[in-house]
Amino acid sequence: MTTDYKISEMKMSEEQTGKWGMVIDQDICTGCQACVAACAMENNVTFVGEVDSGYGRSMHWIRIERFWEGEYPEVKMTSNQPMLCQQCGHATCEPVCPAFATVHSQAEQLNLQVYNRCVGTRYCANNCPYQVRAFNWRDYQRPEPLPNQFNPDVTVRRKGVMEKCTFCIQRIHKAQDKAKSEGREVVDGEFTTACAQACPANAITFGRVDDPKSLVSQMARAHGHGVKHLEELGTLPNVTYLKGG
Amino acid sequence: MIKRIFDWLKQPLGLIAVGIAFLSLFSLAAYGLYTTQQSPEQPIQFPHQTHIAFGIQCLYCHPGASSGPAAGLPSQAKCWGCHNQIAKTQTSALLAPLKDAVLSGTPIQWVPVAQVPDFVQFNHRAHIAAGKNCEDCHGDMSKVTIAQNPQVFNMGWCLNCHVESAGDDHEKLVKLSDCGTCHY
Repeated sequence: MTTDYKISEMKMSEEQTGKWGMVIDQDICTGCQACVAACAMENNVTFVGEVDSGYGRSMHWIRIERFWEGEYPEVKMTSNQPMLCQQCGHATCEPVCPAFATVHSQAEQLNLQVYNRCVGTRYCANNCPYQVRAFNWRDYQRPEPLPNQFNPDVTVRRKGVMEKCTFCIQRIHKAQDKAKSEGREVVDGEFTTACAQACPANAITFGRVDDPKSLVSQMARAHGHGVKHLEELGTLPNVTYLKGG
Repeated sequence: MIKRIFDWLKQPLGLIAVGIAFLSLFSLAAYGLYTTQQSPEQPIQFPHQTHIAFGIQCLYCHPGASSGPAAGLPSQAKCWGCHNQIAKTQTSALLAPLKDAVLSGTPIQWVPVAQVPDFVQFNHRAHIAAGKNCEDCHGDMSKVTIAQNPQVFNMGWCLNCHVESAGDDHEKLVKLSDCGTCHY
């Protein structure tokens, strides 16, 4: 692979490359963690426990980042920042995988993690500038009756496998399947991700970013203060953060 | 030491020993493979061929196939809908488990035969909508008692059909050969 990319070519902030995208309004996010819980339920994200969490092995596909300004005791909280896989159009995790387990979906324009291909080198997680990948360090036991709440549409991952946010691809497929069976296209707002559905403040909006009429692209445009994190790295993230509006 | 072992192996008795060891290992491996391809033990020796001979459609007992991901295995209530009108149900030893299940209200624990691993997300509806028939993947059920898989459900087999059915349609090929279509 050639590496003679020019920074100017990489900066395509105005040009939208993705298909599915998200807008997160940090001004109305209360940091209640409902999205974190909903994501774990929807995607069979395991409970790591206190000991492994202490080693920094906690598993989340979405997390709430807190920041503050000033020195104690004059500490001022800034707005919360939900951080999840940005589904980069030019992802840094993809080219480093030796097993092609993390690949770019041409059909949905998402970063996929193919669990049965993953051999657990953890290179992708080390290369992710957003640090949103989680590794299964163990086969975490779920005591009965917890296995009954598994989502059958999502694989239960094994030990030694990397995982990350999929933009609820199972919901995308379900909506597409339903629309196809009714002979129509998927309507904007027909379905949403688990985190967006659970958000009590409606801080998360999900939809098609390649459709200029969709709510998510209107929001990303209208406020004029949308930020894509670490865009200068040329990752072409598909999550826009709104702040200070 | 090693030279002595090689010398012993080169004499006729040694060659026979090597041959027997090789054969037994090979047959063990073959038997192991064979056992993975056998139909599992079912609570009732369900005769598919008899039911199909009566003209019952696949979708009557497996209705989920046309509308959702899972085709479904019938509950005893569905069996009983026909079987309580059939005199033989009361006397047949083969059907005793069904009678017990209905009278005691305990579900019949059918063992799924056609299965894919957990990391494969299969949807029946899409395949039926694409014009596939049940027998294209599950074989001719009018010839078997308990369902059998006519082939190993592996990814190469799936992908062959996906690529074939896409034909020259590039957009369809992208969708049908995308990892995220089946694995998530």
